[in-house]
Amino acid sequence: MTATLARARWRVGVEQAGALVTRSVVNTWRQPGSWIPSIVFPLMMAAVYSAQFERAIDLPGFPDVDSFVQFILPASILQGISFNAGEAGTELALDIESGFFDRLIASPVARQSILIGRMGGGAVFSGGLAAALMVVFALVGAPIEGGIVSAVAIVLIAAWLSLAIGGFSIAVALRTGSSEATQSLFPLTFMMIFVSSAFFPTGLMSGWYQSVAEVNPFTLIVDPTRRLALDGFSFADFGRALFWSGVVASVSLSLAYRMYLGRLRRS
Amino acid sequence: MTSHPVEATGLVRRFGDLTAVAGIDLAVEEGEIFGFLGPNGAGKSTTVRMLVTLLRPSGGSARVAGHDIVKNPTAVRRAIGVALQDAAIDPLMTGNELLRLQAVLHGLGRKESATRTSDLLERVGLTAAADRRVGQYSGGMRRRLDLALALVHRPMVLFLDEPTTGLDPTSRLAVWEEVRILNAEGTTVFLTTQYLEEADQLAGRIAIIDDGRIVREGDPRSLKEAVGDPTLRVEVSDAAMMETARAVLATFGEERPARVGRLAIGLAGGAGRLADVVRALDDQGVPVAHIELDSPSLDDVFADATGRRLEGANSAQPE
Repeated sequence: MTATLARARWRVGVEQAGALVTRSVVNTWRQPGSWIPSIVFPLMMAAVYSAQFERAIDLPGFPDVDSFVQFILPASILQGISFNAGEAGTELALDIESGFFDRLIASPVARQSILIGRMGGGAVFSGGLAAALMVVFALVGAPIEGGIVSAVAIVLIAAWLSLAIGGFSIAVALRTGSSEATQSLFPLTFMMIFVSSAFFPTGLMSGWYQSVAEVNPFTLIVDPTRRLALDGFSFADFGRALFWSGVVASVSLSLAYRMYLGRLRRS
Repeated sequence: MTSHPVEATGLVRRFGDLTAVAGIDLAVEEGEIFGFLGPNGAGKSTTVRMLVTLLRPSGGSARVAGHDIVKNPTAVRRAIGVALQDAAIDPLMTGNELLRLQAVLHGLGRKESATRTSDLLERVGLTAAADRRVGQYSGGMRRRLDLALALVHRPMVLFLDEPTTGLDPTSRLAVWEEVRILNAEGTTVFLTTQYLEEADQLAGRIAIIDDGRIVREGDPRSLKEAVGDPTLRVEVSDAAMMETARAVLATFGEERPARVGRLAIGLAGGAGRLADVVRALDDQGVPVAHIELDSPSLDDVFADATGRRLEGANSAQPE
């Protein structure tokens, strides 16, 4: 007790959040089964789609790319992040199921630190995931044309987007306390990725599909991210991707925080 | 600190139509081991969860370490150590990592965390296993780690919710020993258990809870004595002296049913009269082959209070 009082409260809060972020990252790393699909599955999808749609890059209106693999890079990152962000919620639900969450809230830890720890861990891991995917894509001949600056920007966008997507799974975890219920959110995210410009330019879509894809937040995030990868770094695109991720995050994180307060009140 | 590290007045917790805790009063003395005994579903864990601020009471009030559990939960959390029923320990982390994390959560600095972690691992005998993931620990090792986690910030009051449930006898004895040592060092311990032997062995005072209400409270000996006189059984080696022995014993209490070849009485005045009985039998030349005094058990106390026997009675006795 005296230790807490003697040291600045903000510093203690930062240390607590840092320790919980570390725990989250270490736990994810120690469960390869939870993150290997985040790399392997997007790469498999990229391989299949590239083989399927390689000639599509010659269509009028298709962005200027050397290969379909190059075009699909942001989609692969988005897929990987959505896998990983969903895991953050599942891990939190498992903490609730096992009673570890009770251990945390029975301690004097700052309440926000518990959420920051879980979500921050997911964000750090997603940033790493994006970097790993970019390396693999570079090795198969689809490097980031924008160089290291664009690559760093994409890592930051990935981390920020991970918070935005993860917020929904965290909210479900906090509301239900069930890992099964939290995992059931994943197909919805996946469907949203498909109805966006992640795998195909919206200009080449038609009908309602095109209308939905054009207003899909993932399109608004993927398009500037793709330009960062293909055309080079620009503050405008970087800002757009962060802004639209922020819009999604403001909804998901508000929801997550509300569910968090609800769970604390119910206890 | 207040003279009552844990005190509750009319504490109530309802879950919808179900009243899990129906208005209990408690006053735990500083430095004691307080046993909270009752069958599964009696309201023990719900009470503990309220006292450790994990559950908001539906009614009544409670103070822990001098702080109101509703108005000042953070102060309560700083002052208590908690080891909950299921030893909820992250199986992917090592003992060392978990202790350091717990230390940070309680606001200890990095250097102090490292020192405290090392001390506690040694104390609970887990130094050799410190860098192994907890998923590889045995049940007893997990419980000892759980205990160490609860002690990391040197709590004033330690809440142990069924700390030995599911443990083998050796591990159970190890936990009992550690609890005794902690208490001898001055830590007030609030211990819930469904095991009679555990309450009897460890607690200086117990409260028996059933159906959300405290049905008996006091030190185990007094509670057992209140049930009735202990039973004195005497086996006489010379059958010819049986009637003499019966006459002698009748002066000390009412005769009770006994096996063939033995005599039994309810010893009025309890164990303090045992020497008088032995002396009187000896004066009359009664050769005694065997003599034993059975006090009423806590199960008798529970049965006396509720009309039922406690579930799992005696199942915690170490072999």
